[in-house]
Amino acid sequence: MRWPLLLLVLFLLAFPPIASATGLEFYQGLLTKIMILALAASSLNLILGYGGMVSFGHAAYFGLGAYAVAILMREGISSGWVIWGVAVGLSALLALLIGAICLRTRGVYFIMITLAFAQMIYYLVVSFKQYGGEDGLRARRPEFGLFELTDTALYYLSLAVLAGALYLLHRLVHSRFGRVLQAIRENESRALALGYPVFHFQLVAFVLSGALAGLAGALMAHYTQYASPNLLAWQQSGHLMMMVILGGVGQFWGGVLGAATLSIVEEVLQDLTIHWQLGVGLILLFIVLFAPKGLAGLLRRRP
Amino acid sequence: MILLETQQLSKRFGGLLAVNSCNLEVRAGEVHALIGPNGAGKTTLLNLITGVLAPSKGQIRFDGQEITHLPAHARVHRGLARTFQITNLFKNYTVRVNLELAVQARRGSSFRFWQPVAKERALTEEAFQVAERVGLGRRFEVVAGQLSHGEQRALEVALALASKPKLLLLDEPMAGMGPEESARMVELIESLRQEFTILLVEHDMDAVFRLAQRISVLVYGQVIATGTPEEIRANPEVHRAYLGDEGGAA
Repeated sequence: MRWPLLLLVLFLLAFPPIASATGLEFYQGLLTKIMILALAASSLNLILGYGGMVSFGHAAYFGLGAYAVAILMREGISSGWVIWGVAVGLSALLALLIGAICLRTRGVYFIMITLAFAQMIYYLVVSFKQYGGEDGLRARRPEFGLFELTDTALYYLSLAVLAGALYLLHRLVHSRFGRVLQAIRENESRALALGYPVFHFQLVAFVLSGALAGLAGALMAHYTQYASPNLLAWQQSGHLMMMVILGGVGQFWGGVLGAATLSIVEEVLQDLTIHWQLGVGLILLFIVLFAPKGLAGLLRRRP
Repeated sequence: MILLETQQLSKRFGGLLAVNSCNLEVRAGEVHALIGPNGAGKTTLLNLITGVLAPSKGQIRFDGQEITHLPAHARVHRGLARTFQITNLFKNYTVRVNLELAVQARRGSSFRFWQPVAKERALTEEAFQVAERVGLGRRFEVVAGQLSHGEQRALEVALALASKPKLLLLDEPMAGMGPEESARMVELIESLRQEFTILLVEHDMDAVFRLAQRISVLVYGQVIATGTPEEIRANPEVHRAYLGDEGGAA
């Protein structure tokens, strides 16, 4: 895994100058978007894959992060660091509230209640006419002091945040905490009988996941310079979930692989046909039937 | 000294009184067997003691303190550990990881997010000692789901041992075992009685009368008799309610 990873990082670092020299700026934008979605999907993979908590409301934290940027910029707060702090803090707080309630349920009830909360947030935000209602809200790019947030700066910023978050997640899933989180997924009653306060472990993971999704949402708002209600909608939750399933549930690179593959496939199919969603559906079906561990599982099966 | 005591403990499921004003005393240092016909409420009583279920009425005292409303995970840290009637392991994990998780639950906080747990030698060493203790030392790196039934039952006991409990609750440890495996389990439990107080729920009467110093008989959710194996064998009420057909064999 070492060499391919090193090559990928070098490629990503070298891409912007190459792109601007060859007129491929469009692909730099696509890569930025993929890296942001990879962060969001990886955050979902922490609770969905490692924690076994099938949250169908991840758009709530993702969208909240984006709206935090748009609303704070509109209210005249333009420091990027402050905005990020608020976006992450609010997402974490929302995840704490939603998690504290939802984690008392299991199975289908958990899926439905996380979805219900996310929909509540969606309708709440859409009802604020001063923040654009269903039209969404423009989100100018904030100031980061050290650098100006150009498209290229955003590209490198997203790369740095993604790399940092992946490092953090890697430490996390191999730590004591991560091992217990996975043990709870494997066998909850056994974990409880060993003396682990299951609820606390799940809630901490849920909050961490929400916070990272909020950061991804803030980056997404920088990217599109716009906070759209679509970011909060259930389709967005489903989209992130599809990425995780495609890439590999509970596989470390699942979120990244899923975000990249789904974004590229969508991009290609959209050029070919208006029925592109059919193609995406077929690919997903194939993965679920023949590769339950997703693309990451397929790649790992090398001799 | 009384280690575990239930007072007037009851559990109602709708119209069914599964445990009915149950008074049970387990003394420190003894092997105490809990017997009774199917459906007598033995497993429900165990679930009340371990905190998996909340009682409808009554009290549970453990080690001099009331624990009636303590959550299940906190009771483990007070020194109550159990095994399950139906084998309940991390089936996809190796014996090593199963036991490391059990050791980790007792040793230090598990809210550690940074250091890799695989490098914690102390966890592995203690896990290995427990594995040796139940005869699974040579199966340390085998995935739990691939162990034989008897080995899985042994691992089940080992998981409870790893928490170094004051009271070990064994819920039918011989369930589903052949005579050879049963004999090995009896040996294992015998080797544990020096160190642990044990509450043993078991249907195998040979094993019960061989292991237990005292026996309580549970019928319709109530303890109808407690005493030494001889007293229980001689008790006419117990015979009528339970031993009747099996007593001759014991």
